[in-house]
Formats: sequence, C-alpha cells, structure tokens
Amino acid sequence: MRLGHGELRALLPHRYPMLLLDRVDSVEPGVSLEAVKAVTGCEPCYRGIAEGQAPDRYAYPASLLIESFGQGAAVLWLLSRGPGTTGLPMFTAARDCVLLRPVYPGDVIRHRVRLEQVVHGAAFATGSSWVGTDQVAEFGSMMAVVRPADAVAERKR
Amino acid sequence: MSDRDQHMAELREIVAEVLELEPEEVADTADFVEEYEADSLRAIEILARIEKKYKVEIPQAELNEMRSLKAVHEVVARHAGWQD
Repeated sequence: MRLGHGELRALLPHRYPMLLLDRVDSVEPGVSLEAVKAVTGCEPCYRGIAEGQAPDRYAYPASLLIESFGQGAAVLWLLSRGPGTTGLPMFTAARDCVLLRPVYPGDVIRHRVRLEQVVHGAAFATGSSWVGTDQVAEFGSMMAVVRPADAVAERKR
Repeated sequence: MSDRDQHMAELREIVAEVLELEPEEVADTADFVEEYEADSLRAIEILARIEKKYKVEIPQAELNEMRSLKAVHEVVARHAGWQD
C-alpha cells in the first residue's frame, strides 16, 4: 500500500507547517511502514537565518526529525486499527533515540517504522531513519496514546 | 538468587528506566506518584513493558494497585502465576 500526500492529510490532523511527511511508500498494517520526508531550504525552520552562517546552522532540527518519524508511526498505528475505532494518536514519550548524523536541505529522509506493541490504548513503535544508505537516526521506543479526536482537533466556535 | 529476587530486580529495572531513575533509587515500597512524580502515562508504559517482557496480560484496572515496586510484583505474580 502506498499513500500520497492527500491520503496522509486525510489520516493525520497535522497541517502546514507541522505535517512532516510527504508520502508513504509501503505499509504492512500492524507490522511496518516506510515513509518519506523531503527536507528543503523552503522549510519554515530556515526562515530568518542570518546570512553567512556556518553550514551546520542548516542542520534539520532534531525535534522535527523525531516528530516526522512519530507521524510515520501514527499513520502505521491508524492503519493497523480495526474498523470503527476512533481517536487520534498523541505522541507521549521517546526513549533511546540516537541521532547519528545531521540532515540538510536537499536530503530525502526515509523512515522505517515497526509497530512493536499496542496495548491499553497505547502504541509503541521502533525504527530508524535513513538518507540514501546513511542511517541518520535510531528510535528505540516511541510511545503514543489514543485521545478523542475532538480533544485534539481545533475547536471551532 | 531466588525467583522473587530475580523478578524484583527485573521489575526494578523496568520501573527505573520508565521513571528515568537509577535502579538503586527505586525503593520497594515507595509510591511512584508521590515519590517519583509518575503520571498515568508512565504507569501505562510500565504496564506495557511488563506485559511484553513476561508475555502476560494484566487488566488495566490493576493499574490503580501498581503504585510501588512491591505492589507491581504482587500484581504481576498473580497474573503470571509466579510462586514467589
């Protein structure tokens, strides 16, 4: 199964500038997923950087890399649930996450996510992120819990 | 090491990791919430890790009881059939 950007928008409540996945290349519900996030110089995180900064100033922020992986885990969990299940995943904990090398504009990140355990309204995922053949991050354990959708969505008056 | 000591050591390790403490900081009867500022999410994480490690199912209702290492051991022993 492959999911385009529109399908990701239909699944996740995130929107610009916090929807940090571009595409899902493969999913085996309940087991694993491979998702793609392309980093560009147009990202809001690079806006307002003064001229003449050192190259490492353009490293993609670790918080956004972890969030991007977490969104991949959320998609995997959502596609693994039984029909009629409601509620949205809320990321609650990251453990044993190691960033191995910086990611820069122009890099295409591939997240390889495995769903480890779903129990008591919580899901645990593990995996790694890659740019080409370089591993850029290892995720020991990412935890999310399910919360009612109307508690997560923007309140409309 | 007796079975009980072994199980307590393993459970202490799980609790310490989730609560971000050293294993020797986790006292047998210290209340997770009062002593270590644990919340319901940490409790679910502890429960999930125990279920995975020992391949046992523990009803979520037992969470209310699992407030110290000793209490966790008692609940797990009951559901895993330990004769500790």
